[in-house]
Amino acid sequence: MEIEPPESVVPPPAKFALPVDSEHMATEFRFFSIAKPHMSAFHLSWVSFFTCFVSSFAAPPLIPIIRDDLNLTATDIGNAGIASVSGAVFARLALGAACDVFGPRLASSSLIILTAPAVYFTSIASSPVSFLLVRFFAGFSLATFVSSQFWTSCMFSANLVGTANGLSGGWGNLGGGATQLIMPFVFSVIRDIGAVKFTAWRIAFFIPALLQTVTAFAVLLCGQDLPDGNLQRLHKEGDKPKEDFSKVFYHGISNYRGWILALTYGYCFGVELTVDNIIAEYFYDRFDLKLSTAGIIAATFGLANLFSRPLGGVLSDVVAKRFGMRGRLWTLWTVQTIGGILCVILGRMGSLGASVAVIVAFSIFCQAASGLTYSVVPFVSRRSLGVISGMTGGGGNVGAVVTQLIFFKGSRYSKERGITLMGIMIICCTLPICLIYFPQWGGMLCGPSSNKSFAEEDYYLSEWSSLEKDIGFHHESMKFASNSRSERGKRSVISTTGAASISPSIQV
Amino acid sequence: MAGRRIMLELVSLLVICISQTSHGFTLFSSLNRTLAVDSSATAGQVLKPGEDTITVTWAYKGTDDSSYKTVEIHLCYAPISQKDRGWRRTADNLEKDKTCPLLVVASPYSPSSRNGSFVWLVEEDVPPATYFIRAYALDAGRHRLGYGQTTDDEKATNLFEVVAVTGRHASLAIASACFSAFSVVSFAGLLTAEKIGGKTM
Repeated sequence: MEIEPPESVVPPPAKFALPVDSEHMATEFRFFSIAKPHMSAFHLSWVSFFTCFVSSFAAPPLIPIIRDDLNLTATDIGNAGIASVSGAVFARLALGAACDVFGPRLASSSLIILTAPAVYFTSIASSPVSFLLVRFFAGFSLATFVSSQFWTSCMFSANLVGTANGLSGGWGNLGGGATQLIMPFVFSVIRDIGAVKFTAWRIAFFIPALLQTVTAFAVLLCGQDLPDGNLQRLHKEGDKPKEDFSKVFYHGISNYRGWILALTYGYCFGVELTVDNIIAEYFYDRFDLKLSTAGIIAATFGLANLFSRPLGGVLSDVVAKRFGMRGRLWTLWTVQTIGGILCVILGRMGSLGASVAVIVAFSIFCQAASGLTYSVVPFVSRRSLGVISGMTGGGGNVGAVVTQLIFFKGSRYSKERGITLMGIMIICCTLPICLIYFPQWGGMLCGPSSNKSFAEEDYYLSEWSSLEKDIGFHHESMKFASNSRSERGKRSVISTTGAASISPSIQV
Repeated sequence: MAGRRIMLELVSLLVICISQTSHGFTLFSSLNRTLAVDSSATAGQVLKPGEDTITVTWAYKGTDDSSYKTVEIHLCYAPISQKDRGWRRTADNLEKDKTCPLLVVASPYSPSSRNGSFVWLVEEDVPPATYFIRAYALDAGRHRLGYGQTTDDEKATNLFEVVAVTGRHASLAIASACFSAFSVVSFAGLLTAEKIGGKTM
């Protein structure tokens, strides 16, 4: 095997529009730039995720028309809602692994184009079963969340990753709120042109479907996997080792932190998905509002993502400057628990004004917690970043499915009682964050390991076997480890930021 | 235009928030069955929207109709079509009642003849369901004073069906199939071209 030692390879100096670190990840964020590779990746990732969210939740605002056309019962509608979020549970994990192996550009654009037919075929749904099936398959596209987080985690440095992830995730999630406004508007335009309402809703679905198609092509043609180029070319030129899927998968699922984050994400993002599905109906029924008014309140919940999820990411990065990873974990636990308390209060509010005020506050904390979660995810694993992102993302959808099944299916609980109980479940399922511990940085309740020689390199290099290290596959992880030393917080003495020496005798 | 509509909705939401007190409402159980209503739709008949018509006739059979000003004819869901569909539920408070989704006609009450009739073409956007016809008599202040319906008190007899007009067209099916196929095939083509281009580089 001819792998030249890195010192003798002199790649031509790459020119980047933004300042970068040793891994060529950007250390600055410029909103209005679309410069390749960093900012173009950011904009493509959030736009593609936004489009998929619009498609997956295109049906709820038109349910009053669809339920009459297809003669749906409340059970049919509930089942379709559960189906729409359950498809993505495994799709998110699979896409995470695919990102690690094929790169986010190919993985996400392929998924987007393969789920577009489900949205086209929604226009010819004719029964409760066909309606459930199209919602199920269209919901797979929600997995693009994972590729968007993976992509921004590859493009932006440790000091910015929370902000970048929060912005791309939040602006993508915006689709869930935007669709509550877009679809009724498109429907009314088509109906005013002359279509009967039972035909107008069908034609309306072509809009999100076309958007999805265009986005898939944009990602394929304009995207770039990594700062240094596309994954396939880097594999060919030997700049990046070709990954072994089974090893990537193993290191992902054997990391207990991924499982804890999967559980807790189910109780911020999963709760957000649940609320997206039930909140318009809740306000419509409890306060006797017009469906369009209830829809606007529902849209407000989703639209808060514009700033609230990024706020979580920004808050995490700000706290991490001083308190490092321990600060990130404490902030995540605090924000998510407050969200749970607000959820309990929401179910007990009897007046419309108070309910609207509480739900706005609840949306901010719930979505900020999602942003905070994905400011921790990039540090859990470097080799299996995609799998960890996928597990956490999948856990979010599992939370949505479980919560809807327990509290919002059938008439066991009234909706207000269901919301209160959901709040209690949020508080309980957020506690496991206390158990997350990084030996090099500490956890919520404990400081870093007393073994002072255990450093970031030891944590990240434990994912590579000694054979792989001999070949030199671990260099990227080494660079990341060096760049992640900021997670020690202000008390750390930042060691030399030069290229880490490749010593085969690192003690683990 | 959409922005203006949203503003209007927000303002009305604000108004509702501020004025939460509910004004007086009518209970269905307080109404007397003072109208005899009949329709041409027979029990179990299946009607096609856009094609079939219903002739509704009503006649007063009570004792005091001095306040009656208007008669409203409604198309109402039978219990089987309300099952597991909370948005169609029956409530005694007529402000919250959702049994009767469609107003067929509101015609002035004629005190001299004390009856009336109306021929209604079943509209194309009437949802497929099982129905009966109900008539309300209203006074000048639009309060309901009496009612009549084509079925019994349990809403079990003399129900008719309206069949589905799904809005599906062959053109939609063809468009969906074509767009889907084009999207996937051209994407695969681009991927292949990229791979071949990479190999020859």
